[in-house]
Amino acid sequence: MLRESSNAADSEIDLHDITEGYRHDTDIEHAELLMGFAEAVARRDENGTSAHRQKMLELMGEPATVDAAAIAAAFHGFVRLADAIGIPYEGAAGGTDSTEMRDEIGISDFYRARHA
Amino acid sequence: MAGNPFPDSPYDIRSDLLSAHEAALAAIARPGTWLTGEQRVWIAEEVRNARTCPACAELREALSPGNLSLEHTSLGNLSPAQVDIVHRVVTDPGRLSERWCRGHIDDGMPEGEFVEMIGVIAMTVIMDTFAFGLGLPEAVLPGPAAGEPSRYLPPGARREAAWLPIVEPGDETPEDGPLYPTPTAGYIHRALSMVPQSKRDYWNLAGAHYLEGKRVYDFGDSGRAISRPQIEIIAARISALHQCLY
Repeated sequence: MLRESSNAADSEIDLHDITEGYRHDTDIEHAELLMGFAEAVARRDENGTSAHRQKMLELMGEPATVDAAAIAAAFHGFVRLADAIGIPYEGAAGGTDSTEMRDEIGISDFYRARHA
Repeated sequence: MAGNPFPDSPYDIRSDLLSAHEAALAAIARPGTWLTGEQRVWIAEEVRNARTCPACAELREALSPGNLSLEHTSLGNLSPAQVDIVHRVVTDPGRLSERWCRGHIDDGMPEGEFVEMIGVIAMTVIMDTFAFGLGLPEAVLPGPAAGEPSRYLPPGARREAAWLPIVEPGDETPEDGPLYPTPTAGYIHRALSMVPQSKRDYWNLAGAHYLEGKRVYDFGDSGRAISRPQIEIIAARISALHQCLY
C-alpha cells in the first residue's frame, strides 16, 4: 500500500525507513514527524506522543493530527487481528512483496517469519 | 447507544469517528455469538489491565515466549485461558504462534469464542490507542446488556488458510448476513469471518479510522486530512514495530 500510494503520488520511499526508523531517504511530507508519532504511540510513550502531537498540530493542523492518531489506532487493531488469527501473509500487498525485498529490509527476521 | 466517548476533547473529532466509537462501545456491551455482554466487557477491561501485567513484561523480554509459563496478573473475571489470550494479543502480538493458538483450542476453547475474543480485543485496542494518541482519557466502558450468545456457526467456515476457520468469499450464506463488499477481499478482511457479527462490528470501527472500503485501492484522494502516502507510512511503521508480516 505504501509503495502503491507513493508511486501514485510520485514520492520516493526507502523501505528501510519502515523497518529501521527514519533515515532521511523517504520523500513524503512530514514523514519524520509522522513516523516519530507512530513510534511514540506504539511504545505508549506519553511524553514522546505529546511532543509529536504538538508539533503536528503546529505544522499540519488539527484535522491532520486527528487523522494521524486514527491511522495509528487502526493499525494497532489490524496487527492484532492478523497475528492472532494467523492469516497467511504471502498474499499481503496483493502478493507483490518478494522474498528478496523481505530479506533486504529485514522483514524476514521478524519472529513469525523465522518460526514459520 | 452511549453518548460521545470523548466529551472533554479539545479537538474537533470527525463525526463518523465519534459515531464509530459509540457503536463499538455499544457492540462490546451486547451479547455476542459465543460470549455474553458481561464477558465481552470483562475482556475490554482486561485489555486495559494487560498493559501493566508484570508477567507480560517478562514474556516480552524473553527470547522464546512459548517456552515460558508465567501467571498473568488479571482482574479475576475471565478464565485463565481467556486471560492468556487477552494479555498475549495485547502485549506481544508479533510473537504469537499457531501452536499457542491451537493449544487453547485443544484445551477446550471453542474456535468461535477465540475469534470473537480477538474482535473485542482489537476494537478496544483501537479505541484506547486513538485516545492515547490524542492525549484523551479512555472511554468509559458501558455496562453489559442482558441476553444469551447465539452460538451461530457459519456453514461455510473452514480451517484451511489460517490458524482458525474463516468463511472464504463465495462460501457465505444469507444467514451469515453481509460479509464481503467484493469477492476479492484480502485475508485481513476474512480474519473474523467465522463470527460474522464480530467482523461487521470490527470493520465499522476500523474503517472509520483507516479508510472507507471504496478508497482502499484508490490511491488518489484519501478522503482524510493527510495524504495516502502519509497514511501508509504511519501504517507501515506501526506494523513493523509490532513485527507484523501482514
